[in-house]
Amino acid sequence: MKCGLEIHVQLETDSKLFCDCHTNYQEAPPNTNICYVCLNQPGAKPYPPNQEAMEGAIKIALMLACDIADDVTYFLRKHYNYPDLPSGYQRTSIPIGYGGDLNGVRIREVHIEEDPGQYKPDLGVVDFNRSGIPLIEIVTEPDMNSPEEARTFMRELIRVLEYSGNARGEGTMRADVNISLEGGKRVEIKNINSIKGAYKALKFEMVRQKNLLKRGVKVTQETRAFLEAQMITVSMRLKEEAEDYRYIPDPDLPPMMAEEEQIEGIREKMPEPPHIKTKRFIEEYGIEEEHAKVMTSELELANAFEEVVKEIEPKFAALWMRDELKRVLYYNKMSFAESGIEPPQIIELLELIKDKKVTTKAAQRIIENMPKKSTTIKATTAEAKAEALSPTIIAEQMGLIGIADEKNVLKAVKKSIEENPQAVSDYKEGKKEALNYLVGQVMRITRGKAEPDKTVKMLKELI
Amino acid sequence: MKLLDKAVSIKNHEITASDNLENFYNKIKRRNPDINAFLEIKIEEARLVADKIDQRIKSGEEVGKLAGLVIGIKSNINVEDFKITAASKTLENYFGSYDATVIERIKKEDGIIIGMTNMDEFAAGSSTETSYFGYTDNPAAPGRIPGGSSGGSAAAIAAGLCDLSLGSDTGGSIRNPASHCGVMAFKPTYGVVSRQGLLDLAMSFDQIGPFAQDTGGIAMMLDVITGYDPKECTTIDWNVPAFTKITDLEDEKAQDALKGMKLGVVEQFLEVSDDKIVNIIEDTVQEMGELGVELVELSFDYIELCLPTYYLINYVEFFSATRKYDGRKYGYKIEDVCGEEVLRRIHIGSYISQKEYSGKYYNKALQARSLIRKEINKLLRDVDAIVGPTVPKLPHKLGTSLEPMEMYAYDVLTVIANLAGIPAASIKAGEVNSIPVGLQIQAKPLDDAKILQIMAGFHQTL
Ligand SMILES: [Zn+2]
Repeated sequence: MKCGLEIHVQLETDSKLFCDCHTNYQEAPPNTNICYVCLNQPGAKPYPPNQEAMEGAIKIALMLACDIADDVTYFLRKHYNYPDLPSGYQRTSIPIGYGGDLNGVRIREVHIEEDPGQYKPDLGVVDFNRSGIPLIEIVTEPDMNSPEEARTFMRELIRVLEYSGNARGEGTMRADVNISLEGGKRVEIKNINSIKGAYKALKFEMVRQKNLLKRGVKVTQETRAFLEAQMITVSMRLKEEAEDYRYIPDPDLPPMMAEEEQIEGIREKMPEPPHIKTKRFIEEYGIEEEHAKVMTSELELANAFEEVVKEIEPKFAALWMRDELKRVLYYNKMSFAESGIEPPQIIELLELIKDKKVTTKAAQRIIENMPKKSTTIKATTAEAKAEALSPTIIAEQMGLIGIADEKNVLKAVKKSIEENPQAVSDYKEGKKEALNYLVGQVMRITRGKAEPDKTVKMLKELI
Repeated sequence: MKLLDKAVSIKNHEITASDNLENFYNKIKRRNPDINAFLEIKIEEARLVADKIDQRIKSGEEVGKLAGLVIGIKSNINVEDFKITAASKTLENYFGSYDATVIERIKKEDGIIIGMTNMDEFAAGSSTETSYFGYTDNPAAPGRIPGGSSGGSAAAIAAGLCDLSLGSDTGGSIRNPASHCGVMAFKPTYGVVSRQGLLDLAMSFDQIGPFAQDTGGIAMMLDVITGYDPKECTTIDWNVPAFTKITDLEDEKAQDALKGMKLGVVEQFLEVSDDKIVNIIEDTVQEMGELGVELVELSFDYIELCLPTYYLINYVEFFSATRKYDGRKYGYKIEDVCGEEVLRRIHIGSYISQKEYSGKYYNKALQARSLIRKEINKLLRDVDAIVGPTVPKLPHKLGTSLEPMEMYAYDVLTVIANLAGIPAASIKAGEVNSIPVGLQIQAKPLDDAKILQIMAGFHQTL
């Protein structure tokens, strides 16, 4: 099978594409973020296109390795009749970028559009808060060969969009997917709102078309709609019924041209795209691919990693940040940026481990406390905040500094054996978990200052 | 009394804004029922505005350029709380929710907006007969059409129902009624006046402009409404001339400005016009020659291309612009209630903008438009302006039934300025059997001031 995607995601801007209305449409009460321009009232003309949106689109196109149109770009009017469209046409630009690539999937074009309002057919009402919010549309060639490949691509694309800092996430995504099987015609599926939805729609459609072909039934060119609740697709219209949008250049918006300087300025400032960063991390730092992917899952985390490896051996840093830092972030349902943790604190903590000032176990408890501290401290200055989040200070406060010497560990090991005869006998009978219990007892007695591997060794010797 | 002098008198408190308003209001009460130039009058609001202006003048406060002058607005320009109907049943009960940029500027300069004027439905016409609210009579030639589509604005000036009025010009809708009603009117260079708030006919042609009895009035209004609008993308950011200074000269000085000017006369513009109109225009041009103007004969080979090009683009843009009148928001679905001409344009626009025809009609029309623009600019390169008839025919009698092509033929000389985006004005040149005939003056893009100079110089000789 071959599959191509058309993905729309809202651009992150303060104001709408052609007027000054705010874009926080989800928070605002219905029909409050509106004006005569985004309602397209009689006589209203668009303001000049939002430059933040235009530059964001160029940046995303560049991050997807697109060429930027060196000729004029302009907006077209795409006419269709629907209650959510106050003017009866949607403004959509000609391609801003084209001929890109993301992990081997060719990007046909990137362009900008305005979002329509939100129509609720069951209530018969329209909320125009969303009307005029800038969207970016990314169109791929049919280069994906399975629903899984399409899913992987979409995840990667969302990551690129997140990196750009100019787009909203999967939550604002709307996708049209097209699929064709050997021996069948191209079918387009509309009305998809998530990566999972796209995956399910493709799965369903693949099976449906395979069954048709198996029975010798032709797969005709058509547009189908995805019904999210039932996870199925249903026919919307055949090719012959295809809508004619009567595209014309919008006379209210004169052609624009992105200056070479402007494009270069954006190129210089734009972040390295995640898929390219991943490759570089593997090559430059010699870390494993899987670790590199985790490190680049978030731009701030990737940046932090690069700061940390200036002081700390990369493989050690990557392993620890993947295992311990990500575990804590995941547990707290936070992004790295939200955790408030800064690279110097990670470096400090890793150095504490390296210099054997804290045990790995103690380090876990310290990192667990760092996001909590960052959300509760009332530090007003950066220095005060850094101090409050200092792993050394947290360790001191929690009494975790230091590693117990051999004599003390031995004492604790002996004590735990004496106090827990049941566990000892369990272990002797082959219950391996009993040893973990004893290790825990040693940790309690030493306040976590015993090193786990040494403790295990001693326990085994003495039992 | 010249309008510039009147404006000064109001500022000097020799005439009060309130008296000026009441004079006009009395006249409107008396004459508008017959002429039907105004569709809506808001006298109480206007009185409050006039009163405030008088009080400010009394207390020595600074007032705006249009202080105390009474103004009529075409019914397709948004004025908050007025009925913005575009003379269509579609918008029969639609109230403007905001002020167009030109209206903001007029209010800021203390103009008194008294009411909304009649027009062809959605400005799609050249006679003001297609208004849902009935035709407008021509005060200068009673019983005949006032021209259109801004027929109400032209008639209001001709009948002396207000000091100034605004119209919109897509293919001649300002100049055509000015010619038929014997008043002055000006269509600025495309992009010189903001269209923000103007209901669309054809967006790439539409331009707002003033009507007045004299050049001073035209200049005053241009000074107020021209200029870059950061909220309208097609406006031009340029050094706007001080129009009033150009016209506020002693008579001889104004005439001096004509000396040495080169004015072109295009052979084909005369060929397509009625003989009686040509006679008047030739006499006028002769007079100008005597004032020291150098006359140049020009030839324009593309005149037959102009009307088809203009109408094809007009249909497509109008079709697009009217999609919002879908019956969900503004009362009626346009196709259900509009008149014949509006429906014709929507249908043809919808037909020729189909994917399968776009290359054949619309794209060809855009190419033809580029060619016409290029050729006109070539003609204008060697002259200061082109002069000729505004309209090739005299206005017909009200009630006469015309075929669409006969109606479109009124526009052949005016659409050129819209196709090329150049400034153009109409000024009365004479009369045929007491029916006014207008002289059209067209110049290079952004040479709006030059046209005004010619109007001012020529006006003194009348
Ligand atoms: Zn808005």
